[in-house]
Amino acid sequence: MNKKYFLPLAIAAMIGVSSCVKLTEDPRATLTPGNYFNTQSELDGAVTSAFRALAVDGAWGFTSKMTSYFGSDDLTTHPASNKADSREFDRLQGTTTNASMRSEWEGPWNTIYQANNVITNFEKVAATTNEAIQQRTYSGGQAYFLRGLCYFYLVRTFGALPIVTGPADITVTPAREEPAKVYELIIADLKKAAEMLPDKWTGVNVGRPGALAARAVLANVYLTMAGWPLNQNSNYALAATEAKAVMDAGKYDLMADYLDVFKTNNNIESVFGLQYNVGGQLPNRSFGATCIPDDEGGWDDFFPEINYFKDAPVCKRTDQTFHTQIKSNKIGVVRWDDPRTATHHPYYNKFRYGAGDGIVETPTQVVSFNASTNKTTDIVRFAETLLTYAEASAMAANTVSDDAYEALNRVRRRAGLPNIVKGLTAVAFRDSVVNERKYEFAGEFGQRWFDIVRLQLLPKVIARRDPNEFKDLPLNPAAVANPGPKYIAPIPFRDLNLSPGWTQNPTY
Amino acid sequence: MKRLLLLMLLASGLLQAYAQKQLTKGKVLDETGQPLPGATVRVKGTNISSPTNAQGEFQIATGETASPVLVISYIGYLTQEVAVTGSDLSITLKTDARSLNDIVVVGYGTQKKSDVTGATSSVKAVEIAKRPLVRVEQALQGTTSGVTVQSNSGQPGRGISVRIRGASSITGGNDPLYVIDGYIGGNLESIAPSDIESMEILKDASATAIYGSRGSNGVVMVTTKTGKSGKPRVDASAWISKASLPKKLNLMNAYEFAQQVNKKGDVAGTGHPFTDAQLAELQKNPGGTDWQDELTRKPLTQNYQIGVSGGSENVKYYFSYNHLDQPGLLINSGYKRNTLRANVDIKLNRKMDLKVNITGLLPESHNTDFSGDIVDPFSQSSMWDPTSPVRNAAGDYISQSNFASLAKNPVQNIMSRSVDGKTSNLTATGVFTYRIIDHLTFTSNNSYELQHQQTQSVFPPGTNEAFNGNDYAKMENNRYRSWQNSNFLTYNNRFGDHSLTVTALVEQASKTNTSTIAQANQLSTYSLGYWNLGLGKTQSTSSGYWADALISYMGRVNYAFKDKYLLTVSVRTDGSSHLVEKYSTFPAVALGWAVDKEGFMAGSKVVTGLKIRASYGQTGNQAVPAYSTIAQIGTALPYYFDGSTSSVNTPLGTPVSTMLQWEKNTTYDVGLDMEFWRGRLTFTADAYNKKVSDLLYATDNPFYYGGGSFQRNIGSVRNTGLEFSVGGMPVVGKDFKWTSNFNISFNRNEVLDLGGQDNIIVNGIGSAQQGVSIIKVGEPLGTFYGYKYLGTWKSEEKTEAALYGKKPGDTKYADLDGDHKLSGGDLTTIGNGMPKYYFGFINDFSYKNWSLNVMFQGTHGNQMYSFTQAYTMGGLGDARDATNAQLLDMWTPEKQTDVPTYGNQNEIKSSRYVYDASYIKLKNISLTYTIPESLLGRIHARSLDVYISAQNIWTITNYPGYDPEVTNATNAITQGLETGTIPNPKTYTIGLRLGL
Repeated sequence: MNKKYFLPLAIAAMIGVSSCVKLTEDPRATLTPGNYFNTQSELDGAVTSAFRALAVDGAWGFTSKMTSYFGSDDLTTHPASNKADSREFDRLQGTTTNASMRSEWEGPWNTIYQANNVITNFEKVAATTNEAIQQRTYSGGQAYFLRGLCYFYLVRTFGALPIVTGPADITVTPAREEPAKVYELIIADLKKAAEMLPDKWTGVNVGRPGALAARAVLANVYLTMAGWPLNQNSNYALAATEAKAVMDAGKYDLMADYLDVFKTNNNIESVFGLQYNVGGQLPNRSFGATCIPDDEGGWDDFFPEINYFKDAPVCKRTDQTFHTQIKSNKIGVVRWDDPRTATHHPYYNKFRYGAGDGIVETPTQVVSFNASTNKTTDIVRFAETLLTYAEASAMAANTVSDDAYEALNRVRRRAGLPNIVKGLTAVAFRDSVVNERKYEFAGEFGQRWFDIVRLQLLPKVIARRDPNEFKDLPLNPAAVANPGPKYIAPIPFRDLNLSPGWTQNPTY
Repeated sequence: MKRLLLLMLLASGLLQAYAQKQLTKGKVLDETGQPLPGATVRVKGTNISSPTNAQGEFQIATGETASPVLVISYIGYLTQEVAVTGSDLSITLKTDARSLNDIVVVGYGTQKKSDVTGATSSVKAVEIAKRPLVRVEQALQGTTSGVTVQSNSGQPGRGISVRIRGASSITGGNDPLYVIDGYIGGNLESIAPSDIESMEILKDASATAIYGSRGSNGVVMVTTKTGKSGKPRVDASAWISKASLPKKLNLMNAYEFAQQVNKKGDVAGTGHPFTDAQLAELQKNPGGTDWQDELTRKPLTQNYQIGVSGGSENVKYYFSYNHLDQPGLLINSGYKRNTLRANVDIKLNRKMDLKVNITGLLPESHNTDFSGDIVDPFSQSSMWDPTSPVRNAAGDYISQSNFASLAKNPVQNIMSRSVDGKTSNLTATGVFTYRIIDHLTFTSNNSYELQHQQTQSVFPPGTNEAFNGNDYAKMENNRYRSWQNSNFLTYNNRFGDHSLTVTALVEQASKTNTSTIAQANQLSTYSLGYWNLGLGKTQSTSSGYWADALISYMGRVNYAFKDKYLLTVSVRTDGSSHLVEKYSTFPAVALGWAVDKEGFMAGSKVVTGLKIRASYGQTGNQAVPAYSTIAQIGTALPYYFDGSTSSVNTPLGTPVSTMLQWEKNTTYDVGLDMEFWRGRLTFTADAYNKKVSDLLYATDNPFYYGGGSFQRNIGSVRNTGLEFSVGGMPVVGKDFKWTSNFNISFNRNEVLDLGGQDNIIVNGIGSAQQGVSIIKVGEPLGTFYGYKYLGTWKSEEKTEAALYGKKPGDTKYADLDGDHKLSGGDLTTIGNGMPKYYFGFINDFSYKNWSLNVMFQGTHGNQMYSFTQAYTMGGLGDARDATNAQLLDMWTPEKQTDVPTYGNQNEIKSSRYVYDASYIKLKNISLTYTIPESLLGRIHARSLDVYISAQNIWTITNYPGYDPEVTNATNAITQGLETGTIPNPKTYTIGLRLGL
């Protein structure tokens, strides 16, 4: 009896149970693009990701963001120790496998990837009221701003670039487009950002870029386009217009004291800055330990070249910029060129403090310092806009207006320098502005290097280099003979290798 | 109803017995005179048979046969025929040295070993008992051909990587599939080695294809012990073992180190960091801090096991409890484990059996989470400044030193941190068997596993993790649930010369995992460790969920003609939730020819067994995790638009491929099993060709497309190999016996295709800044990639060196592209981590009550890239001060060695750090004394063995690191890389085994 029933039952059971499990996937704890971008707060989360991608260590959170700019005269590094990556570029001998340089590539691209996600989707957010539409527009505007800003840094650093403006199509390798094409996209993005964004943000949103920030970057874009490699002089006028608009808005001013710019966050001079929070695992490592000399126990990542320091004008700003009395752990306070110091170089003072959380020191001794600070990194500060206006308006008109003199003199007066004497030709005036930029922005993210690039100053910089500047580590002789190719960095090996059909920049 | 039926049957049986009342009584004993319960006694030429009882006794009606002959058989013993000469017989069975008659587990059933057509090997309880093992995988090392076992960390409680016939996947695990009492993918940690009855290793695809999409890396089937009917037996064992570092690296003492730092300062022009006065001081007391000694210790491991087994004819039981306490080789680390097992076999009635196995596992680990990284305390113990004390005069740790390593003081690091894992795992397997009609059996095998895992960790300031103000405490909770239901019908019959077994299976399985993580950063005080996350300046929480499912169908036919010509055919179809194309089919076919059963072999006294096998099969590798084909929006740490107010961050994940398929593994195998002189010598050989196509690989995604990586099917890899295993009993005397087993396996691996690409360069491991691995068409997996180091430029090469901007004493690398500089074109393959062959050699000698087991194990032809060596020699350039004593032999014009001087690019990606890692190790040596029976009576014991043994005490190798056996072998690509992995300790053990 058992026999009769059990067999069919068993077989039925065997087949029947199959329905117990399902093969369709249901990722309950994971968001997917299919079910996202319904509300403004979902969109906010996507916008936030673009900012964090740019601010982190491995992007623009550490000194590695300037690795390929070490060919500049405001940057050099320790001759031994673990600074090989910066040392390579300092000697104009950068390589494609340089690990630190990857921050310059990865950070902006990661940001562009997230910004593209916002740009592709922000209009999907349901918005019926004007206020809701405006919120949505602001989100899109910030994404356009970041995308334009990132392409601007990438094109100046690496030259020709792939142009990716939408979702990634992993089956296709995009070609590298010439800089002119990239600049078209940058201008379009920044113009859109300027249209879509409010002038300036305040309160909890103070770190978001406004329309004025977009125009300040655009001014710099036009100024750059007037120089190498595009050499389009017509852009001077456009640069002057954008800078003037930012100045006339009256929302920004210079800090009274130069050093306060590097000790406070989101001050009146800050047009756009990246925000940091150590407790939130978002430390800024571009201030504090990174610039403190080995002799004081610091990381000794970067400091100025000797002649760059010696050529600095005598003024309060110079005193505030440089750290020349080394508080050695072993031999007490000595001058920077004391042979007993590790590098016999001056250091940067202005980056020591962070937002008050960088260093604790007495006149004779370093008590403690942090590698991680909450200091904002100013990407654009108002001094830059003033100097852009001064240079661009003079070059556009081929004569120097009073406004142009005043823009330059505002920066000089704050530095503790006398007003510049009027009567200069446009070119001579431009050179004064460039010299002002050289020290106003000493050691700041890419500023000096990009001036060297757009004005093709490498031969002059090389010629002025002190022959005793780490004489066992001479400049790359091939680059000294032909500096041209060194204005742009090599494409990082990883992505070059992943992009069939691309060719490396010359000499790398 | 059933009971009635049973009674009737019983009654009819009795009646029959009564009718043929000619009874023969007797007793069956083994060679030592112990009774053998459960042996089968059959009257030759009839169906009349009877089992022996617990005392080995039997009673059988011999019927009307004139001169009856009894056939006595028992697994593991030679079958004997005895003519009935009296009514009280005493029969002694001889142990069968021939293994070919064993019954082996083949997955969804068992088979006589002589009928097996696939390439399989087994490890029995006897072999396992010879060594003090803490992990099941260790039992596979050296004991079987085709299997390599490598521990990727000497930390207690950590898994061990097992490779069957080389590595075939570059993404997924290469670990074999573990099937524990029918439960696929069971938790190996839940098995105490002493609970194992046998392990079968299925090597070729014809044997593993029945596991379809999960069989690609081979299958290890673990069968746990069951009770035997009879009086309760108590088996207890205990061992204590003392471990120590197998060797120390040759590092500089403090005085030598300080001199070298100054020498480097001379070259860099940065002056003398150590003053003459300091040097003079150091010269008086040159030792300094020995960080290797500071960080390690010689811990005592203890293992206790007690098992109780026995039962009646209808219920058999096996209970066991195991306790392991294994402190780590590193200070402040360790592992403890409690395992409880209950295996019960119930004969429900004549037709139905029920088997229930339940295991409870409670492991606890403390600071055993190091994955082998260059900043781990262990790596740092060879890279830290020997002139720095561990603590300053005030008793506080010296966190950082101005010299050598940039990482934190390794002693402070490990003493300050805690990563405490506590797991509760319950696995239950129930097997119901129903013999529906003659020859047809239904089996339902059901397993359920529930695991809760809690990990609490704290990284206060002073630990590496706390770098950047990132000090934190964290609590993770994980609940994992898995179940499997396998139902199968087995039809087994014989028609004259044809014997046939057909198996049909439906199986389903599903897994679910939920997790929560709570983390607090920058705690105001660390006095409470990880116990109060409310003390954090910032808190973050996250949670996760994943689930997957598998539905499978399998059919298998085993057919034999005259027991000589054997055929196995199987097909499995798996449907998986992970992929877009849900279903895949995996076929296999195998042939065997038992040549020894042919007439022409019948009389041979020499060759007593000969079988030839050939097979083909396909399996898969389900290497893709759940949700791999779904684009995701993740959650990440917030951004602060004013520097303090946090905003939710939901980044778009990296792109995904929507075309994913399983890796397919196609294997051809031919094999030969031979036996000489009735088992005095056995020989097995196999040759195979295993091709893996549609290789899954997490391809790097360019940063302009979002970076990271995505899964793709990109190419194929082939493993070809030969395996030999020779076993024998060279001496079988009355008092002295010697048995020996030698196995050796040759494997060649080659990447055939990478989807059009010539190579893929692999990223570095952990915080090692540079990767040295490449996957390249035509080369094996595990290939190293970098510059070829040619030593130093010698004085007579001055002119040539100048062309490279170098001077004598500088590093010299092969300039492959002839451009007189070190560039991408000079990068080439510089070594390989895959052994050409590996072997195990086990010898057992016994003399009276003494036995000696000696086991050697080794590999040949593999190389190791050692990051530890590279970093102790100065790392990137001369970024860190070298600690390695090799630097003392630096190039000078007078003594032109190949150790370069300071101040020239010392490339980390170079063959300078590639070493021959071939080795022969005395894996185990143990001496056991079995207390004679005459003495046992006094203590009322059944048996008592005492032994002393030693593991890993002697190694022949050229490798300069700690242990050539230990690498970061987490996958096939990085095998042969060593980045500070903790070596296998050298251990001395004393133990006893007691039977009551």
